[in-house]
Parts: sequence; C-alpha cells; structure tokens
Amino acid sequence: MQDVLVGASAVTKDFHVGKITVNALRGLDLDIHKGDFLAIVGPSGSGKTTLLNLIGALDTATGGKVEVFGQDLSGMSRRERAELRLRSLGFVFQAYNLVPVLTALENVEFVLELRGEDGGRRATAMSVLEDLGLGELADRRPNEMSGGQQQRVAVARAVAAKPRLVLADEPTANLDSENGESLLKMMRQLRDEHDMTFVFSTHDPLVVAYASRVVTIRDGKIVSDIRKNSGEEAPGEGVEVRRKGTEPPGDGTEVN
Amino acid sequence: MTGTSTLRIAWRNLGRNRKRSVLALAAIALGQFIFLAVAALMHGYMDEFHGSITGPMIGHAQVHAPVWLDDRSIDITIDNVTSALDAVRADPSVEHVSARIYAPVLTALTEEGFMSFVVGVDPASESHDDGLLPGLDAASLMGEGRVLAGSGFARRYDIEPGAELALVGQDVDGSIASGLFTVTQVISSPVDIVNNLGIVMTLDDAGELLAMYDQAHEMVIHTRDLDTVGETVARLSAVPALVDLEVLTWREIVPEMVGMFEMVDVMLLVVLGIVFVAAAAGIANTMLMATFERKHEFGMLLSLGCGPSRLARMITVEAVILGLVGVVIGTALGLGLLLITQQTGLDYAALGGASDSYEASYKGLHLSSLVYPRLYASDVLAGMIAVFLTALLSVVWPIMRIARMEPMEAMRL
Ligand SMILES: Nc1ncnc2c1ncn2[C@@H]1O[C@H](COP(=O)(O)OP(=O)(O)O)[C@@H](O)[C@H]1O
Ligand SMILES: [Mg+2]
Repeated sequence: MQDVLVGASAVTKDFHVGKITVNALRGLDLDIHKGDFLAIVGPSGSGKTTLLNLIGALDTATGGKVEVFGQDLSGMSRRERAELRLRSLGFVFQAYNLVPVLTALENVEFVLELRGEDGGRRATAMSVLEDLGLGELADRRPNEMSGGQQQRVAVARAVAAKPRLVLADEPTANLDSENGESLLKMMRQLRDEHDMTFVFSTHDPLVVAYASRVVTIRDGKIVSDIRKNSGEEAPGEGVEVRRKGTEPPGDGTEVN
Repeated sequence: MTGTSTLRIAWRNLGRNRKRSVLALAAIALGQFIFLAVAALMHGYMDEFHGSITGPMIGHAQVHAPVWLDDRSIDITIDNVTSALDAVRADPSVEHVSARIYAPVLTALTEEGFMSFVVGVDPASESHDDGLLPGLDAASLMGEGRVLAGSGFARRYDIEPGAELALVGQDVDGSIASGLFTVTQVISSPVDIVNNLGIVMTLDDAGELLAMYDQAHEMVIHTRDLDTVGETVARLSAVPALVDLEVLTWREIVPEMVGMFEMVDVMLLVVLGIVFVAAAAGIANTMLMATFERKHEFGMLLSLGCGPSRLARMITVEAVILGLVGVVIGTALGLGLLLITQQTGLDYAALGGASDSYEASYKGLHLSSLVYPRLYASDVLAGMIAVFLTALLSVVWPIMRIARMEPMEAMRL
C-alpha cells in the first residue's frame, strides 16, 4: 500500500459566468499517491487547471470532497488554505513564476522567508540552486534568463522548502522540447531522490512520456487512468491501461 | 538589509518603471519646493511686517487717553507723563517705554508751504532696536531746535541736512503755535508717517511748540515677552497712575493686521493643500498603475501562500519611499533657494518683471519690495507630513484590491 496524499471523491466544480453555469468538474474521483509523477491530460477546457487548483487549495469544490494530507479542504478558511499552500505545497505555473525584481537566488530565498524560516536562508537557497545545477543563474534576474532557465528556477523555488507535493500547471507549455525535457528530468530526479510527489496538468506529449501515471479527463470527468510500470518510465514502455470503471473499487495499488 | 527585505524590493520596484517614478518624484519635489518657497517669502515678508508693527510702529502695547485712537486730536493727552512712565517702567515685564507726541503742522521752506507731521520723541528711549530711532545717536542730533526729517518727506521737498523749517500749527489750547527748526539728518523709517511726513524732534521741543508740558499722546511699551503681553496689559490697567488711561495690546490697536497674519496662515494651508494634491496625483497614479501591472505577480505570490498583508506592506513601503525621496529633494531645493536669497534678499519687483525696486505703504507701514525669505522647521515638517499621509492614503485602494484578490483569478492569462 502507498500513502494517499490527495483524495478527491465525487468532486464537482461549477463556475457562474453571468447567467450561465459552467460545470467544469462533474463528479471526479482521484487518489494521488506518494511518489506519483502524475500527468493530468485532456483537451483545453476539460478541467485540468480547475482540478489542480482544487488540489492546491487555491479554490474550493462545489460538491464532493477534496482531502489533502488527510485534511478536508472544504472546511478551511482562506487563511488556512494559504497556510497549507505555503507550508506543504510547491507550485510551478505556466508563466509569471518569478518575482521580476529579485534574482534567482532571492526568489528562492523569498519563499523560505515567507515560510518564516530564519537563519541561513541564503545558504539554503544557494544549495538548492546548486543541487539542481542552477548555481550560475543565482544572481540573474528573470529578464536575464531564458524561459527554460526561469522554469527551472521556479522548480527550484517550489521544492526549496521540501514540500511533499508539487503541483505544476502546464510547466512546459512555453518551452521548446529540449528545455521541456531538462525540466522534466530535473523534476523526476527530485521525485526519485527526495521522495516528492509531482502532479502536472499538460498538453505536452513529452510530459506524458515522462509521467509514471497519466490521468485523462474530458468534460470534467476522468476517462482513463494509466499507470506505467514503476522503474520503466521511458516513453512507450511498460504501459498498462485501465479504463475508468473497470478498476476495482478502492484501488490504490501499483499495478505491475 | 538582506536580499529579500521589503525595503530593497520596494526600491527595485520603483526602478522598474523609472520614467513614471521620476515623474512622480518630480511632482512631489516641485510641490514641496513651491510650498517652501511660498512659505519662506510669506514669512520673510510677514515677519518683517510683524517686526515693524510690534517694533517701532505700535510696539507691544500702548497707553493713551481713552478716545485718542478714535480722534487723534491734539488735545487728547496723557497728563503727568513722567509719573505715568515711571508707573509703567515699574512693571517687571516691561523692557522699554517711551512717550510720543503727534501733531499735524504746516511747514514752510523758503516760499513753499506743505503739510507735515511733528513726531515728538525721547531720543534716549527710542534708540533701542525696536524703537523709532534704532542705533542712532539721536541725542546729539536733536534738541534745541534741531530735528530729523523722514526720507520720503525730504526727497519730495528737496530737504537736506542744514535746511531751516518754519513750522506753524495749533497748540494744545487752540492757539497758534510756531517755531523755527534745523534739519540735522534725514532718516528712513518703517513707520510710514515718519518716513513721508515726519519731522522728528525731542519731546521738550515738541512740548514747547505745542504748549504740552508733561503731556504726551501715547506711550509705547515693549515687553520682555511678546507672548505674555496680554497679562502685562491687564496688570498695567490696574496701576493707579494709569487708571484713567487706556492700556491696549498691539492686537487691539491694529486688529486688521492680526486678521492679515491669520489670512497668511490660511493661504499657506491652501498652498500646502496643493502640494498634497500634487503628491497624491504622483503617488496614487504610480501605485495604481503598479498594482494593475503586477496583478499576475501578486496573484502568483498569493498562490504560493504569501499573505495579502505582506503585499500591502510592500506597496506601502514603495509609496512612502517615493513620497519621502520626493519631499527630501523638494526640501533640498527649497533650502538651496533660501541659501541663495537669504543674504541678498529677493526683490519682488524683479520677480514681477519691473526693473526698479519699489517702496509702498500699507496701513501706516512703509514697505520695500525687497524681502528676506525665511523658513521655519515647522513648514518643512508640515510638507513632509502632508506627503507622508498622502503616500499612506494613496495605497488604500490598491491594498483593498489586493485584499480582495483571488489568487488564481489574478494568475489567469
Ligand atoms: N474562473 C472561471 N470562471 C468561469 N469559468 C471558468 C473559470 N475557470 C475555468 N472555467 C471554465 O471551466 C472549464 C474548465 O477550465 P480549465 O480547468 O481551465 O480547463 P483546462 O485547464 O483543462 O484547459 C472551462 O470551460 C473554463 O472556461
Ligand atoms: Mg489550464
């Protein structure tokens, strides 16, 4: 058995735009396990970002239940959710990840400071950058870095405080495949070496190729949940497909 | 200061749109500069005004016979002046007291005759800094038929030292008074009547001319502390030798001047208001734009779990830095102007485009177009506080926006 970090059951999310109600999520069940390198895929507008925002405590579900680290998010105040994000989650966004007036090092340092860590923040931030091979970017501001470099620094910042779960919304969307691949390698290494769990929303086949598990959603529902054999996460190898509804109830085990 | 300190972040953020920040700084600096310049000129002018009024013209307080101020008729006199002077002098807060005699006369110089004004004074008690004849060895120039002539008066009638003046008037009993006097020196005075009409002579000469023996029209008092003049006057009013007389403070004698000083304060407040608006426009515009521009950045930080209060602090510090740097620049410019003009004075006439300085009189005061600017620490402080408050006010709306911001809304591309 694996630890369940996130449990979503019968989750619905409605948006009201004027008189129109958009059912972005329509009864969605998903468990995310420790060590997952999970890609949520689906066409544009299928609800990927909405789902990620619910898991990331950035928004609350209309119906159903979302539990993160065993805590039910629906009962939490704005402030409590912000605290949860700050303490236990890492985020990588598609763009605007970094504070423009801060250097790479200062950007990393800033989240450590936000978390109230004192003493040796700078050294911690530097060692995080160096561990990820980003040492030479330390003194560069975002506008002095390429998009790929910025995203790698964003990952460094997301993981600096050693969160248990890192959420990334289309992290490679603005990158070419080479940069996308090096970003993915970096994150997978973090997963392997630091026991972190990653969840992506993506369109990018490359992310799918690197993922250990691929969840496809369409119209706010999960239509497939594919788990690759562990240890074999190279593109196209050892893939096992399970269609939604065919899996045994309460399934949370690795299939291999 | 660490790399992520709020101060450093704020400073760098101001550098992001340098043009806009410089423009805001310029607006604030200019506002403060204009305020300080106006305040310095006004104070320079009004302090001199005030100094003249409470100095040679009115003094701090005066004693007269009750209806003198309404009438100024020659026969409304203070009698037994010597003992009245002694009584005033006995009060511990009185520094100087001097008696004066005023009388209109006709002056004849060769064939010409013209209106003039006899001012009888005691040279010894008018030679102090606030007296009618400051720093003048008046005693050696006056007495026994020797008199001083006001400069405007002398210029108008070509009177020079050595000139002989024949004066004809009415004495205190209504009889004809006449005498012959020699001008020893031409004097310039901030008191208009002395400058333009004045023939200044000793009390003895004036008394003889006008048949006023141990009499005078007014006693001018300078106290040791202008702030407590009211109490001094109250005390003097109760002195037996003065009970039949009227003892008044300068404020009671020239209430319209008091009104003017108050008006100047109101005007300065209005100018300060304009500074406030300039600063508000500069800072508020900058902060609003910055908040709009940084919507994504704020959304990202909120998403990470950064508290809205931290963001609020960030932009507040930004606004305050902007305001304070601006106000410091404006103050430096103001002090610079002060330094340049303090020694030489500033000529209003030149400012207005006229080639010559002018002199004018207002309500008995003789004024020059030359003014020596004067700045008070309180003015500088008032400007700074106004700008500081403006800075705080101008982030209220941005902060309210941030507080209501939904992180993922702000992040949406
Ligand atoms: N804040 C919102 N207000 C209104 N509609 C929204 C909002 N967020 C998402 N939606 C709608 O919900 C659906 C799912 O959106 P999203 O989760 O962003 O999809 P994806 O990330 O898969 O492209 C879309 O139809 C989108 O228009
Ligand atoms: Mg999306």
